Amino acid sequence: MSMRNSVVALAAIGTVVAFSANAQSYPEQPIEVIVPYAAGGGTDLSMRVMAETLQKKIPGATVVIRNVPGGGGGIGTGEALKATPDGYTLGTGAQGPIALLPHYGATTYNIDDVDFLALMARNLQVVLACKDAPFTKVEEFLAYAKENPGMILIGNSGSGGANHLSVEAFGRASGTAFENVPFSGASEALTNCAGGHIDAVTATPAEARAHIESGAVTPLFVMEAERIAEFPDVPTAVESGVDFTWSSWKGIIAPKGLPEDVRTTLTAALKETFEDPEFIARMKEMGEFVDYRDSDGYAELARADSKMAEGVIRELGMYGMNK
Amino acid sequence: MNLLSDLGLGFATALTFTNLSYGFLGALVGTLIGVLPGLGPVATIAMLLPLTFGLDPVTALIMLAGIFYGAQYGSSTTAILINLPGEASSVVTALDGYKMARQGRAGAALATAALGSFFAGSVATLVIATLGPVLAAAALSFGPADYFSLMVLGLIASVTMASGSIVKALAMIVIGVMLGLVGQDIYTGAARMTFGQPQLLDGLEFVAIAMGLFGLAEICQNLEDESSRATSVKSVGSLMLSRADFKAIIRPVLRGTGIGSILGVLPGGGATIGAFAAYVTEKKLSRTPERFGQGAIEGVAAPESANNAGAQTSFIPLLTLGIPANATMAMMMGALILHGVTPGPNIITNEPVLFWGLIASMWLGNLMLVILNLPLIGIWVKLLSVPYRFLFPIIVALCCVGVYTVSNSTFDVLLMVGFGVLGYVFMKLGCEPTPLLLGLVLGPMLEENLRRALLTGRGDPTVFLTRPISATLLAIAALCLILMILPSIRKKRVDAFEE
Repeated sequence: MSMRNSVVALAAIGTVVAFSANAQSYPEQPIEVIVPYAAGGGTDLSMRVMAETLQKKIPGATVVIRNVPGGGGGIGTGEALKATPDGYTLGTGAQGPIALLPHYGATTYNIDDVDFLALMARNLQVVLACKDAPFTKVEEFLAYAKENPGMILIGNSGSGGANHLSVEAFGRASGTAFENVPFSGASEALTNCAGGHIDAVTATPAEARAHIESGAVTPLFVMEAERIAEFPDVPTAVESGVDFTWSSWKGIIAPKGLPEDVRTTLTAALKETFEDPEFIARMKEMGEFVDYRDSDGYAELARADSKMAEGVIRELGMYGMNK
Repeated sequence: MNLLSDLGLGFATALTFTNLSYGFLGALVGTLIGVLPGLGPVATIAMLLPLTFGLDPVTALIMLAGIFYGAQYGSSTTAILINLPGEASSVVTALDGYKMARQGRAGAALATAALGSFFAGSVATLVIATLGPVLAAAALSFGPADYFSLMVLGLIASVTMASGSIVKALAMIVIGVMLGLVGQDIYTGAARMTFGQPQLLDGLEFVAIAMGLFGLAEICQNLEDESSRATSVKSVGSLMLSRADFKAIIRPVLRGTGIGSILGVLPGGGATIGAFAAYVTEKKLSRTPERFGQGAIEGVAAPESANNAGAQTSFIPLLTLGIPANATMAMMMGALILHGVTPGPNIITNEPVLFWGLIASMWLGNLMLVILNLPLIGIWVKLLSVPYRFLFPIIVALCCVGVYTVSNSTFDVLLMVGFGVLGYVFMKLGCEPTPLLLGLVLGPMLEENLRRALLTGRGDPTVFLTRPISATLLAIAALCLILMILPSIRKKRVDAFEE
């Protein structure tokens, strides 16, 4: 009896010792950040820059990127969220896999499984009028859309993706309707826009800049609450009387159940990383808009988008379609 | 001459010691990863990208470009030696190149590939320098209807690629197109033929299928047949091309360069389609089309010139429009942006040193690759004299590693094994895998552009005939069909006269 008790006591002490040793010595092995997209995309590149900065902020850490593409980002995100919550496997929390994909039913997780650590950046969205489109200003665009419902051809990067849902949501907010033309990627849509094969498209400022400078496309409005530094002359949708904002975003997530001190170490290091002027400058060069938000702010943004997306997806009859 | 002074600036940039060294380093790394099946340039560039942060943008870009065309070279090497096309664009090279290697002419095949690529690369470099912006604008005018018609032409022409039965070739194309349907439909977002497997949402991995159908199936065949193994081991053959060889390849190289340069500019797998198109053209023009697929040197020269020219000209839409033509170019664009250079119509005026330096380095890179690869051919060919019982496990291991690295997925490795078995069955049935691969590449583009053309045309099917580019392409496709039927008619008439 006393023997058994002392074993239990010893085990308990052992656990406590092991636990505190763990926390003090974190990280003891490389920290892996899963990027749910193929190497070389925008998210992948910015995560690689992030990894380089983050490992300087945690003493003794090595941060590596592992690409697990597939399923529109759902496979890699699922893998990150099903990992052991020890702080050695983190995930990229991007809008598509977190706020949109679970509503279609093809993921192994949902937004409640996510521990949001910190928001890194947002990709602002600007709506462009294509070559030879019958409008070049946001007022003309809205007027044309109202007179010719369903006639404006808007390119997106695949049905059910962020570019598609944002246009649908904008249509609901502004009382207009469009014809969505899906492409297999944003750059293909933009190419067809510059060639005048469609009327409008949404893009990030970085993607759009060169085409705007060449005069092939004209910016109509940005989907932000306020004008953006990159295009100070381009109005927001809000200014034109349509209460609508939308951007895509990415941050760092983890499976729920991280040891509290590991979580504290990570969130503090991430805050330092995302507020590092050198990091911000490098991201700016890449066309990324760094927008650090803490765990709560990040979770709030993700849940709001998830809710909005769910409404649109249900109305489109796409809810649970790939279950 | 403006062009001369521009090129002078380019060479002055590219010929500095630093840029030359990094260009060489890139070409060398590219060749090595090209030779390792499956480990593609995209993954390599992604991994090396952080290393270039400290470099000047021009130097970084020169090195990354070196990796890109080095990998093109390298993947042709494995296609010829062990029937393992590392990339879609060298699938066609494997057809006749591997047969040549089996006949003891591996050296000649590799030399043809190297020289053809060098010539094509040089011409394509000049094309970029002189016609870049014009060609880019022309590529923009390609709308959905035009792409659809191009795909129709491609699929019809590909039937002539088969050296055996036309019915079997058609069947393989259809299987390929059907395999291309797997995955998420971009028009509805619905998952098609994925059987609830999220790994299938993005479609079947091309590299896994190509390696299974070509590499693994070939290994099964070799293991089964003692005598075929012996031939691939014994004779290495001369590296030098004979006078007759030179004569045979001049025209295919010229035509391949032309076809590759034009198709390379089109966004979406230009280099691959160029290689297929060049091969089909040569086979159609040849007086002895039956030699194709049996080790015809023209069947190596044309696609190799075309894919290298296409690889080079695919820089045109990237540099002048900021539009990446394929995954590797998207990677290069990422690298440019990371270095604070936004590719676009103004890049030539805003960044002349970068633009012309890169162009000059392309030519130098091609030269380096020839110098690097001609001596290496001897070494590669010696690899074949390694006893097959040692060679095949190594090849299988490299295939598995290569396929795994494409998207870090064990699912793809299993997929490759499955297609290896299927490929073996196809071999036994006398069905060639190449039309299947072409169907797999072109099928999704065919479907997407058909639906997009009808959508943007508001359901009017005449868009395919009223758009001049589309109508022309369809007319050529119709002509191809007629030509395909004609020889059999002519033959019957000859037979009739003889009677």
